[in-house]
Amino acid sequence: MKELVELSEKTITIERNEFLKVKGNIDTNLYYVKSGSLRVFVLDDCEEQVIRFGYKENLIVSLDSFLSGKPSEFFIQAIKKTVIKIITKIQIDNFLKSETNRVLWTKILENLVLQQMEREIDILTNSPKERYQRVLKRSPQLFQEIPLRHIANYLRMSAETLSRLKKS
Amino acid sequence: MQSEKLTQLLIEQTRQVINRVENLKNYDLNTLTWKENKTSWSILECLEHLNLYGDFYLPEIESKIKNANTKNDVEFKSGFLGNYFAKSMLPKEKLNKMKTFKDKNPLNAKLDKSVIEKFINQQIKLLELLNQSRNVSLNKVRIETSISSLIKLKLGDTFQFFINHIIRHLKQIDSIQTEIKNT
Repeated sequence: MKELVELSEKTITIERNEFLKVKGNIDTNLYYVKSGSLRVFVLDDCEEQVIRFGYKENLIVSLDSFLSGKPSEFFIQAIKKTVIKIITKIQIDNFLKSETNRVLWTKILENLVLQQMEREIDILTNSPKERYQRVLKRSPQLFQEIPLRHIANYLRMSAETLSRLKKS
Repeated sequence: MQSEKLTQLLIEQTRQVINRVENLKNYDLNTLTWKENKTSWSILECLEHLNLYGDFYLPEIESKIKNANTKNDVEFKSGFLGNYFAKSMLPKEKLNKMKTFKDKNPLNAKLDKSVIEKFINQQIKLLELLNQSRNVSLNKVRIETSISSLIKLKLGDTFQFFINHIIRHLKQIDSIQTEIKNT
């Protein structure tokens, strides 16, 4: 992943609550979070639903737009002031010209697919306690980086329920 | 220009508008309600003025898109009047004063930070409509203006006019912030 990040020629800062992208934007960039945190969410009939978070040393991308070149549903918003390195699709296409790099890229995508499958199971798990424990086990760091109310949304429960689960 | 290119431009402009106004949430009420003189507008009054326009145009656009039976056009060609309105809204080098319609004048309304929240919600709605507009014709769908229901503009021109109007007032807010710094 380090090799990918080193491709970046542009670093930007987004202030708290600013949008890196909104629904309908076509976004083929890969973002590396140097510091800060963001949330990726969709709007489900006026309700925000967090899909994923990004905090330091994470890679964030609107994969739908990245792969298809089409407009993406996702909103990406800074939770606090965030510094991001941008890697463009063109830079990645060039990067993928070498076999070694393609192997690395494949590993990254495979990892992502596995993460998505874990997430799918999260969402289909009925018990809030189990959903919480799955995520706690998988990403304990999350609870240091992201405010509880956002994590509650991600876990599809109320902030009160999450508070209670944390205490028990 | 291509409809898709226009739509992308408008979505990107809206993103920047949202970010600009999110920033305003950091200021205290005194700054947001500061006026240079009795008849010039405060920051909140500028936003409330924009909200009043949003109250008219967003439901109108939403309903026309919903009832449209056209498919999207690859090319969008600006209408004569629509183009004129859209361009006339753009802020010039030296911001010129324009007359405001009485029912869209926010002067002295009781305003607080909820004005900002309302504005941002309207922008999210606008994004929704811009996304939906990809499925209809920006040429054939026509929107009544707030000036007169007899004056109808193409959907593409209406979006441009609406957003240029917002940009105009955001520039005005920039000026107000500069003046506050200088007092």
